[in-house]
Amino acid sequence: MKKAFALFLLVLLVGSSFLSCEKDDICAEGTPTTPNVVIRFFRSDNTSVLNPVSNFKYYVEGMTDTITITASTDSIRVPLRVDATQVKWGFILRQTGTGGTTRNTDYLTFDYTKQQTYVSRACGYKTTFNLTEDPVQTDAPGENTLWIDEVEVEKYNIEDENERHISIYY
Amino acid sequence: MKNITLKTRMKDIYLFITSLLVLASFPAMAQQAADTTTVAPKTYRYGIRVGADLYRLTRSLYDDNYKGFEIVADYRLTKKIYVAAEIGNDNMTVDDDMINFTTKGTYIQAGFDYNTYENWLDMENMIFVGVRYGFSSFSQNLNSYRVNQNSNVQNTATSSNYFDDVVFYPNQEYGGLSAHWVEVLGGIKAELFDNLFLGFTVRLKSLVANKKPEGFDNLYIPGFNRTYAGNFGVGFNYSLSYFIPLYKTQAKKAEEAAAKK
Repeated sequence: MKKAFALFLLVLLVGSSFLSCEKDDICAEGTPTTPNVVIRFFRSDNTSVLNPVSNFKYYVEGMTDTITITASTDSIRVPLRVDATQVKWGFILRQTGTGGTTRNTDYLTFDYTKQQTYVSRACGYKTTFNLTEDPVQTDAPGENTLWIDEVEVEKYNIEDENERHISIYY
Repeated sequence: MKNITLKTRMKDIYLFITSLLVLASFPAMAQQAADTTTVAPKTYRYGIRVGADLYRLTRSLYDDNYKGFEIVADYRLTKKIYVAAEIGNDNMTVDDDMINFTTKGTYIQAGFDYNTYENWLDMENMIFVGVRYGFSSFSQNLNSYRVNQNSNVQNTATSSNYFDDVVFYPNQEYGGLSAHWVEVLGGIKAELFDNLFLGFTVRLKSLVANKKPEGFDNLYIPGFNRTYAGNFGVGFNYSLSYFIPLYKTQAKKAEEAAAKK
């Protein structure tokens, strides 16, 4: 009986020392967190053909940081603010024509509602969004040409990044 | 009565002294061993032992994030088997990287202890194993959380989240929560002075039911402790308890009968 008890106590102590190693302190990669708006670019004259952008820049009006996607891409991810229900993004298209390189900025204002969802202790909470209306397009001050011909919302619920939410035709 | 040599008796005393020193760092007050080798008929005292957990009481003093207590009690059923229970209250704030929450609630654990230690003379020390069924009724208060943003969309080595971290302070209470669990434990109890016992237990707990709040989780359950460090809850206590004797039996008849056989 004493031996059995000693063994039991040993198992208990060894077991508890293993258990005290915290295994989920770090949010595992691939865990669904706050999604971004996935935008894809299409040709406006042939709406089924993707129209990649290169050296594409975008920023939130009033912020100094600009996101730059150097490589040519037909898909970008645009974050929404988790502490607001509206965000105004400026998208800068770089075009190379006969007169050299020109930059054209168009603004899209996103209005949305948001919802906080518990994920786990390590990952905390994530925010998912609902676009309440189609993004409002405005031109940059001093410019008089819009480069975006049409904005089409494919999915108003922003819950993951698996497929595009918005198509931009230009 | 078995013929116990003085040597084994000394060994037993040392076991208790060292157990206490190592586990509790309390001054061990071993009972004085009788000098005679002749043995009087063994008596067994039966009664209720009540006490409190010293760990929770002292932690309430030094840890700003914890207030709580635990009352322990056992009743001797047979020579080796005790009915045992713990009733406690926890008020614990956990400050994690992403989440800060406060758990408040009351718990009760009830079950049996089995003393595996063969005492000599009239000593009443215990080295025991036990089982418990635990129940807790509690609330969770979500004090604050940080939203796990994913606004690093540039995907380069040097880029980071585009937006600053945002912390929300909802201060939202989720009430009416409960949990059930089973546990196994091992421990010791030693008599320091007349009827005053110091004990230590280690416990492994496993949830059988857990009513979680909508939109949050039970990361900490009073009595069960953390739920996120593996599949088992781990607990321990240092109990100081007082024995209230109710009646006595003598082992003489039964043991004489056993000796004749």
